[in-house]
Amino acid sequence: MTTEFLWQLPTSGDGRYGNSRKERRAERASSAHPYSDGVTDPRGLSFNYFDYLHQVARAADLAGFDGIRIPEDINGDEPWIIAGYVARGSRHLKLVTEFDASRGSSVYAAKNTVSYQRFTDGRFAWQISAGGDDKHRRALGDFVADSEINPRIEEFVTVARGVLTQSPYSFKGKYFEVLNGGFQGALSNQKVPPIYLSGKSQEALALSAKVADFHIFDADTVESIQQQIQELRALAKPYGREPAFALRIDIVSRETEDEATFDARRYWQQSEQGNHQPVINGNLWAGLSTDTTAANATLVGSYEQVTEALVAYAAAGVSSFLLSSVPHFEEAYRLGEHVLPAVRAQIKHDQRRAA
Amino acid sequence: MTIDVFWRIPTHGEPSSHRNRTPHRGDWFPGDDTKAKPGSVGGTGQGYIDYVAEIARAAEISGFQGGLIPSFPMTDEPWVISSLLARETSTFRFMIPFQPGFLNPVVAARMTASLQRATGGRALYNIITGGGGPAQLWWGDSASHDDRYGRTTEFLDVLKGVWNGGPFSYHGKFYQVEDAGLAHPLSQEEYPEIYFSGSSDAALASASKHADYYLTWLEPFDQLREKFDRVKARTQILGRKIKCAIRVDIIARPTEEEAWAEIEKGFNSLSREALDKFQNPDASDSVGAARQRGNRPTTINSYKDLIIEPNVWSGFSLLRGGQTNGIVGSYEQVAERLDQLVALGADAFILASTPHLEEAYRVGEEVLPLLRGKTDTAILRAVG
Ligand SMILES: Cc1cc2nc3c(=O)[nH]c(=O)nc-3n(C[C@H](O)[C@H](O)[C@H](O)COP(=O)(O)O)c2cc1C
Repeated sequence: MTTEFLWQLPTSGDGRYGNSRKERRAERASSAHPYSDGVTDPRGLSFNYFDYLHQVARAADLAGFDGIRIPEDINGDEPWIIAGYVARGSRHLKLVTEFDASRGSSVYAAKNTVSYQRFTDGRFAWQISAGGDDKHRRALGDFVADSEINPRIEEFVTVARGVLTQSPYSFKGKYFEVLNGGFQGALSNQKVPPIYLSGKSQEALALSAKVADFHIFDADTVESIQQQIQELRALAKPYGREPAFALRIDIVSRETEDEATFDARRYWQQSEQGNHQPVINGNLWAGLSTDTTAANATLVGSYEQVTEALVAYAAAGVSSFLLSSVPHFEEAYRLGEHVLPAVRAQIKHDQRRAA
Repeated sequence: MTIDVFWRIPTHGEPSSHRNRTPHRGDWFPGDDTKAKPGSVGGTGQGYIDYVAEIARAAEISGFQGGLIPSFPMTDEPWVISSLLARETSTFRFMIPFQPGFLNPVVAARMTASLQRATGGRALYNIITGGGGPAQLWWGDSASHDDRYGRTTEFLDVLKGVWNGGPFSYHGKFYQVEDAGLAHPLSQEEYPEIYFSGSSDAALASASKHADYYLTWLEPFDQLREKFDRVKARTQILGRKIKCAIRVDIIARPTEEEAWAEIEKGFNSLSREALDKFQNPDASDSVGAARQRGNRPTTINSYKDLIIEPNVWSGFSLLRGGQTNGIVGSYEQVAERLDQLVALGADAFILASTPHLEEAYRVGEEVLPLLRGKTDTAILRAVG
């Protein structure tokens, strides 16, 4: 099995500090780094955060990541637009674009996806998430009950896959319908976007068992991830399927463990969390950051330690790593240089030995 | 005051001339695969988007504002094309047609604000509401004609409400939101200019409330004047102002004979089936499409039978997909006819001609400089 490494595009802000959420590099309109009046600033209003996002995507491409995750954050820019914006500047990145099933018609999403696939050589992928809490969803014009979230995702996926793979295709469900749909000619037979789902609840796991190509687990100990993988495997078995298992985890990695720990502490202070201390379990730190696009936990350690930890998750069954680290531009290069090659080599080595 | 001139992006490939349908650019009509066609996917890693990018660049270099990027079941999609070409273009404005019913309005607001940020404010809409019939259900939409327009109006209510940050709440028949609003810095962007297409009464009701430009296909000139007056009167009742725009194909050549020769060759290469289908189109509830058909003779033996007034030919949809009336003539005649349309109320044009790449240069170089637009000669004389 191949293992993929996805970098995260920081869709709502990024900078050098632990509270980088408040900063948008290159955003000139509300410049975070103005020059004094005594120095000519050649930038004017020429740039904004999109230029930076483009650089991060290029960095991930050049540093050897297999793809990027483009998270949906109501405070940031819209993922489908970002995916298009970075598509032509990257050559092989898989573009895992997050949204929730209230975004509109499933046929329309599939139709747009056909063009993405045609224009990117099939690099477009979907992460469909549950959306936020009640209040958050109402602000997005979405009034369905919690219990309907997963059934709606299932219909969304069913209809999209239907029109992408069959013509004519008809379906009439509770949330979506289509009559004699499907694509013709050049629009037909485009790659069905790989579908990433997530969630800890029984309903979420049951849905992934049925329809996900990837199920994303929040960062946790290897033992816990292993257990969750076994649980999902068992749920998927009756359908004759096995989704791939993905891990969403942050990283603070430096040449030495001391440097990593020092920087992690500094990030934590900068992220202004008061007395709320991170919970440290070996190299795994929970609660290091409050950023909503941050992972549940962070691997803190030397390049070797982080490599070892990632290899252990791979051995437990994880084949897709959704990584991020602040600032995303510099850290893409760091991990691409110091961690990914070692992790890939070790996983290959272990797989060869196992075979 | 000046008029705005847009070009069009062909989103379903295109023939290399009006004369016949092959060779065809793009990968829609696989014919002779031994001939490398521009914009077809080959082993070279090129695709249709590369051809589309060329057209967008040609249009901006040639002096067009931007282009309309049509969306139909068999085309590529305008949101995708716009976001992909954001960095490759400088002044090109992306006119995105979409049916509001297909997108959550808050998501649409986020997409649009992000596209504005990605392009430096070059996104605008053509709000369309669908032509009903089987195509509407193909899209997964079973709403009736007038319900669709009600939904369009509510969609634009919500879009406007959330645009500058809210908090905005709304309880309509089709949409509800609670404490919604774009976050900073998305909330700082210009609201997209709204072109609006649709000819029915329901369309006019919606357009008069929300549109900046009422967009129509070309119709006989007198009929258009009446249509524009009606739209303007209706909008004035609401205390608003609206401008008018025309989407029209042109064939402009150094001489009128050369221009009609293009049409004649194209017409003579048509099959009997193509003509039959032209006279018996698929079911649709589109009032606009019916208005276009209404001006045609019932028997068609020559291309000349489709000349419905001087320099206006009503058979364009035979030569390529889309609407049917267009202007044919010398550079001077085409410019003159467009200026007559300005005189009867047009404030903007979306022009097109096949092939869009080379014709962008031709029209930009030969026709646009002849247009007087809203030049007021009296004022010019007084100043100069
Ligand atoms: C200038 C113009 C452009 C249009 N572009 C599209 C388009 O890109 N996609 C589409 O599905 N319909 C398009 N339409 C059709 C409209 O969506 C709508 O079906 C039509 O105007 C019928 O509405 P009516 O009954 O009010 O005339 C366009 C119409 C006009 C006038």
